[in-house]
Amino acid sequence: MSTTASTRATPAGRGPLTEFFLGGSRARRITLLLVGAFVLVSAVRVISGEESLTASSTIAAALLLAVPIGLAALGGLFAERAGVVNIGLDGMMTLGTWGAGFCGYQWGWQAAIVGGMLFGALGGLLHAVATVTFGVDHVVSGVAINILAAGLVRFLSELLYSDNPAGGGVTQSPALTSRPPEVSLPVLSSGPDLLGDLERLNWFLLSDVAGVLRGLTSGVGPTTILAVLLIPISYLILWRTAFGLRLRACGENPAAADSLGVAVYRMKYIAVIISGSLAGLGGVFLVFIAGIYREGQTNGRGFIGLAALIFGNWRPGGLAAGAGLFGFADALQLRSRSAVVALFLLLAVVLAAVAVWQATRRKLLQAVTAAVFAGITLTGFLTIDELAPGLVSFTPHLTTLLVLSLASQRLRMPKADGLVYRRGEH
Amino acid sequence: MTKAAALLLAGGLALTACASDEEPAADGGDTGGGAAADAPKIGLAFDTGGEGDRSFNDSAVAGVEAAIEANGGTVAKLSPNDDGSNRADLLTQLADQGYDPIIAVGFAYSDVIGDIAEQYPDVTFAQVDGAVEDAGSPENLTGLLFAEEEGSFLAGVAAATKTEADHVGFVGGVETPLIQKFQAGFEAGVEAVNPDIQVDSQYISPAGDFSGFNDPARGKIVAQGMYDAGADIVYHAAGGSGIGVFQAAAESGGRAIGVDSDQYQTVDDPALQAVIMTSMLKRVDNAVEQFIGNYVEGDVAGGENQRFDLESEGVGLSTSGGFIDDIQDDLDTYREQIISGDIEVPTTP
Repeated sequence: MSTTASTRATPAGRGPLTEFFLGGSRARRITLLLVGAFVLVSAVRVISGEESLTASSTIAAALLLAVPIGLAALGGLFAERAGVVNIGLDGMMTLGTWGAGFCGYQWGWQAAIVGGMLFGALGGLLHAVATVTFGVDHVVSGVAINILAAGLVRFLSELLYSDNPAGGGVTQSPALTSRPPEVSLPVLSSGPDLLGDLERLNWFLLSDVAGVLRGLTSGVGPTTILAVLLIPISYLILWRTAFGLRLRACGENPAAADSLGVAVYRMKYIAVIISGSLAGLGGVFLVFIAGIYREGQTNGRGFIGLAALIFGNWRPGGLAAGAGLFGFADALQLRSRSAVVALFLLLAVVLAAVAVWQATRRKLLQAVTAAVFAGITLTGFLTIDELAPGLVSFTPHLTTLLVLSLASQRLRMPKADGLVYRRGEH
Repeated sequence: MTKAAALLLAGGLALTACASDEEPAADGGDTGGGAAADAPKIGLAFDTGGEGDRSFNDSAVAGVEAAIEANGGTVAKLSPNDDGSNRADLLTQLADQGYDPIIAVGFAYSDVIGDIAEQYPDVTFAQVDGAVEDAGSPENLTGLLFAEEEGSFLAGVAAATKTEADHVGFVGGVETPLIQKFQAGFEAGVEAVNPDIQVDSQYISPAGDFSGFNDPARGKIVAQGMYDAGADIVYHAAGGSGIGVFQAAAESGGRAIGVDSDQYQTVDDPALQAVIMTSMLKRVDNAVEQFIGNYVEGDVAGGENQRFDLESEGVGLSTSGGFIDDIQDDLDTYREQIISGDIEVPTTP
């Protein structure tokens, strides 16, 4: 995060309240925004009585859904920061699920992690060979890898699992021989379970904080911890090391990086292989949930990871937020249909705030539009008990779209992203 | 450069092709190559997943093999590609090569089998899980349908008898009329035993989005929600997502009921076997065997559906693991009542 010096002087046209929320450094703005959003969700929880909004079980489910998306997005981050568009993330994830299943049923969960990452990395290597060495169009190679991965896993399964005494079949592997251990935070989330007690009191804000913390700290596996740690680690590697600077230089201006002695081809290779292994780790996570490899179990999560990457403006924190939002909305709609209606109230409050804000800026048309939509969503909240299931299941997609359009953020992809770099031709 | 891309794509396609048995592999039956001249040349077109799925497709294979044992004949098996877009080609290929009868496995063939049956009026077609009306009612097509609601009713009876929390659940894969039959039967079965028992029913994905049949992670979350809410037995009709339901049961100390095949036998994991109380069996093997038998005897009328229910042993409950042995008498009582018509099981929730 770039920490620009905070301007003390109030810009013209901003009141003290606006200045409090929007002024100051970027980090302060983001923190305030997050705290504000959390207080709002907590208030909506109390008003609507939908306890599942911030229940620890919802948050745990959200984490379960967000981790594979986040890992795929992180994979995309490494590749695209080095200038290679990776549409093949989903295929690499599929390879990861197969590798995890194959190693996991023979040698246990530790081997599954290694195997899954290795298979994903092989997919990445293939993408690197095609795009970096042979200069194939990145999208063509990525699509080819997705097709290839689907065919390859079926072929390998047919070869190895059809008559396997350990079980399995063309579409699935035998069961993993051991499951990864799950840990909970002692005292707070297990044993005395202090957070659980606090959560059950249903106090405004305090119970919500407890619910979220408990959801994030009880029964998490090693891959989850690894995935969460990888977010700050990726930031540190990419923005705080010489290696990261070189890698990003390859994505912004490879010719300049080359002229300064950066081995551009090698950096791109490394980045895309890391990308593949991270996507593969996402596949391992899915295999751990099911306890087996199953054909098609990625269900397009690699593509959603790619969307989370763009949502997050090609930054680790942003993509984590994107994956988290998608996971939360998905968990909510899977666990409680009525809680989705409570999101209407949340939306109404946000839209009302937008209306007031636009009104103070004398933008009447925008203010009226926002106010009308706020009214509609509020009516929706008051009159609808339960949404039609067909609508509910699109909640994650709709939420992501809405946030994207409301946030009006200025997305900027790496400048040389997706361009084929030939040494000496630039 | 474009050559390399083309090569990569071609490689991918070639591998995909390898994976889906484009060339029909004609297997001689157990009677060997010396089959009688009128022995059937059976064409079998699988649902996605293909042979070795340890469920539906394998059950159809078992039925064909039993029929070959009884009547002689040969079989050719074809699997569709991953997205199932070449289903029509499979049927055409089998018909062109003179296979008769041709059996398509899965309701997804309904979109294409009608046209193909009309193109080949002399070939006898059958579709597992597909009604002839959905395919435009061609004269040479037989729909092999199952009374899923009757089997699910018994699953509901078993769940209601065994529950200690008076709270059970149903997880459906995709909200289609077919899966709603499972839900309707299950809910009716629970209610018949004790109307006060609460049933939570939920689908993983809505109609049109078939991801719900193959997403263990979502299946686990939906089932976990039910166990968290107090349910102790969850019945799933969610195909490949079902393993997620079993995982949730194992973690929550609950129990689960499987579907289609005897999942106690196919799950390969002792920890999960312990939670699979029973499975609602769809005897695709019986249906296929019976259809081929009728064909050999010239008894296939065509243009109509054949329904396999409790009476014809087309559906039922598995007993592996012995978890429901003690309530077998209750189950038999309800079974008799359904067969005699005293209980009418609804097909829509």
